[in-house]
Amino acid sequence: MQHYLDQLMRDGAFAGVPKEVVYAAAMVLAAFVVLSVFVAPLAGVTSWLERRVWARMQSRVGPNRVGPQGILQWLADGIKNLLKEDLIPADADSKLFSFAPYVVFMGFLCTFVVIPFGANLIVADLNIGILYILAVTSLVVVGILMAGWASNNKWSLLGGMRSAAQIVSYEIPAGLAILTIIFLAGTMSMQGIIKAQGWAPWDWFLFRNPFTFGAFFLYFTAALAEGNRTPFDIPEAESELVAGYVTEYSGMRFLFFFFAEWGNLYVIGAVATTLFLGGWQVPPLPVFENSPVLLAIAQFVTFFIKAYLWVFVAMWVRATLPRVRVDQLMALCWKYMVPLAFTCLLGTIALMFVPADGQHIITAITFGFALATAINFFRRVVYQVRNAKPELYFKPQI
Amino acid sequence: MNVASYAKDIWQVMSSTFEGLSITLSHLVRRPMTIQYPDKIPVPVQETLPHRYRGILEVDLDICTGCLACERDCPISCITIGIDMNKETKVRQFTHFDIDVCKCMYCGLCSEACPTGAIRHSQEFEGASYNPAGLVRHFAPQPQNLYKPKKGGETDPKLVAKVDIGQKYLDEFATPDGGAAAADES
Amino acid sequence: MSETAPAHGFYTEEDMTISVGPQHPSTHGVLRFVVKTDGEVISEAIPDVGYLHRSIEKIGEKVTYHGYVPYTDRADYLAAMFANQAFCMAAEKLAGTPVTRRGEFCRVIACELNRIASHLISVGTFGQDIGAMTPFVHALRERETINNLMEEICGARLTYNYIRIGGVGYDILPETCAKIGAFLDHFEPIVDEFNRLLSGNKIFIERLAGVAVISKEDALSYNLVGPNLRGSGVKWDIRRDIPYSIYPELEFEVPVGTAQVGVLGDSYDRYWVRIREMQESCKILRQCLQRMPQGPAISKVPKKFRPPAGECYARVEAPRGDMGFYVVSDGSEYPYRVRIRTGSYTAMSIIDKISKGIMLADLIALIGSLDVDAPEIDR
Repeated sequence: MQHYLDQLMRDGAFAGVPKEVVYAAAMVLAAFVVLSVFVAPLAGVTSWLERRVWARMQSRVGPNRVGPQGILQWLADGIKNLLKEDLIPADADSKLFSFAPYVVFMGFLCTFVVIPFGANLIVADLNIGILYILAVTSLVVVGILMAGWASNNKWSLLGGMRSAAQIVSYEIPAGLAILTIIFLAGTMSMQGIIKAQGWAPWDWFLFRNPFTFGAFFLYFTAALAEGNRTPFDIPEAESELVAGYVTEYSGMRFLFFFFAEWGNLYVIGAVATTLFLGGWQVPPLPVFENSPVLLAIAQFVTFFIKAYLWVFVAMWVRATLPRVRVDQLMALCWKYMVPLAFTCLLGTIALMFVPADGQHIITAITFGFALATAINFFRRVVYQVRNAKPELYFKPQI
Repeated sequence: MNVASYAKDIWQVMSSTFEGLSITLSHLVRRPMTIQYPDKIPVPVQETLPHRYRGILEVDLDICTGCLACERDCPISCITIGIDMNKETKVRQFTHFDIDVCKCMYCGLCSEACPTGAIRHSQEFEGASYNPAGLVRHFAPQPQNLYKPKKGGETDPKLVAKVDIGQKYLDEFATPDGGAAAADES
Repeated sequence: MSETAPAHGFYTEEDMTISVGPQHPSTHGVLRFVVKTDGEVISEAIPDVGYLHRSIEKIGEKVTYHGYVPYTDRADYLAAMFANQAFCMAAEKLAGTPVTRRGEFCRVIACELNRIASHLISVGTFGQDIGAMTPFVHALRERETINNLMEEICGARLTYNYIRIGGVGYDILPETCAKIGAFLDHFEPIVDEFNRLLSGNKIFIERLAGVAVISKEDALSYNLVGPNLRGSGVKWDIRRDIPYSIYPELEFEVPVGTAQVGVLGDSYDRYWVRIREMQESCKILRQCLQRMPQGPAISKVPKKFRPPAGECYARVEAPRGDMGFYVVSDGSEYPYRVRIRTGSYTAMSIIDKISKGIMLADLIALIGSLDVDAPEIDR
């Protein structure tokens, strides 16, 4: 982006304005565009999709009235929340109470700086890209603790403390799984990691060896825990703590927390795609050689679909699994996930010393195993459908 | 804990999650069970309700004899009937016949007590109203004569159909053998 | 309450008092618990009941016997048939009224359908409390079919006024019997699917195995009944031990907790007993549908029902345990006193004992596994 700005300044636009101001203004404009055109509708549509997906999994129809198939439901929810009374409880710490949603929001939005949407479609390709994401997503802990404390409510306090413990603990397995990939790729920059993979599924880091396959599931589970999603949604455990740390929030402040949660799902998917699924890599078709615009669009679409698949999987997992208790959550992290993450890391490093042919064989075996599991899964789904009696038959009717 | 139980725990988590995910995905492709009332359905819901549905009460005052059996049998006193002697015609008349629909328990005891089937449960269930006064149904807006059932069947052509409907309702729901006669019919 | 709070130099520790309810998504009605906890581990949980009291027992003194039957529906609206039946049995014993044979079969069919519906809500909301939202909606979807069947039989979906003194209010027609058979064919695989989705899930099992264990001695001494008692290993079912109606002629098992995944008497045992009871109810229904005799559905009972002076206690095996109606008559057409004994009220007494030392999440599991129902507690 800096090239374009320098070009424009050499051509005479922005005469008399110092260079730093032009850069700053351009950055603010870019941030605004990304937020309002991409992030806000994305989080909104994710909330609609989540409700529709849950509903269909529960044999009912989700919201389908506002707009075609209900796709504008999030606008209606947003407007409704904006029009609500802005309540701050009497004895609550009002400055912290007001500020907490924005801290959480910042922690989530700052990650969009390094998300690689295409080969040239990245705001800033930091050479510590993935480490930056890990660091910035920890800001939400501060926000949640502020929300829990400032609400002057015992339930919120409990929720905030549980959440802080949860997020901080689950950074370890997530970080170790990411470290596995950093070793394989040799760089922490997001574009560098993508370029170290290929476009075909067997060239992705996911199937490189069984340890990276395990590292993927460890990363995904840890990221779900960091995003407060079921089965780890204890901080917002509706049936135990009413609403956890957001109990006293209403109106738009309430929506900010959930905006951050749904948007965070996309960030989880984007990071998973970058690290394990080959990012924006597309097959080198001749039509792409001629038209860079078409190539950019194809890369954007590929990345988006791959990332959004994991958003769908997160919703699917939430609809299926019950919640773990808080001590079981801690035991799961420290007793199960951390040793397994270490095993994956050491295993990957050990396998890096195997000669290239051996590595290809291991990749082929892992890919075959994953394919067999997937086929087995879909056969099981067909069994479930057949096992149901005639009233619930195959044709979906929306 | 030893290695065996550790590995077993991990295997059980993965396999039960696998099974659960397959079940929820299978529901995603099945038809939902929702009926999208009130606009996306082919026939109004009132016509799909079963025959015996106990909806909001309706009274056909033309065949009501004023015996007050329903008022006595109602366990929650939601029926209020007033009968007075008309000074000019020397005929007894209803002054009011009110049913408080929000007190009604929809138990059906009043319709079973009625000798002519004047008070019945309809198939209506949409009783929402914007003010509480709308929830009291007044079935005698003007004073009306009581009905005297004639021996040997009804002869007035206007009332024959009504008497038949009332009698049919009674045969179904208020016979002493509990509808077995109706079972033979249907 | 105030033992001296332990002091660590400058700081003192004391427990916080939290109120779980009365507005809470998982207290199964309007219930309140005053809980003392240090943040996670509970030291005391005292139930505070009475938010749903509607004076149903007092109303019994003001309405006739026939008119009181709709009120008994509301004593526990999830298991309305059983309250109807218990009251009608008490009134019949007082007056010596016989019940027709077809009436008895209709009663059992209606009651077992209602038992399945009540257990569906129980296990569905239990899963919801633990966090699994999908099985809840699936259970309610099945209950909708049962509601439709009840609507066909008697005209109402929740408060039936179906079982009357001397028999049942309306006969069950042959096409309804066919629909009940079709429902059973559809329902039994659904219970298996429900088990695969929820009961077999490792996270669910880990949440419940060994949690809130009620020993046999405790269960008997605190007067628990129904699946709560059977989950602790005591084989006691009114349908077997103090038989009534036509249950002696039907073949069914009484499921008892067997420490399948944890300790005998833990929350999973009580939950599993309910799932098995649903399957046993399907068996009972099939036998009844096969053996239904012809005949009148209700015997002749006078409109002004005036039983001779006396008292009577009738008990039935409701989904939440032993429901008993104690009716005292003074010879007039209004009862002198009606007293309702319900299983959930006595289950509240054990909550304080068991909840010492468990965590807040386990308290929710305990309340859900005991299947307490606020209308039953407060009447």
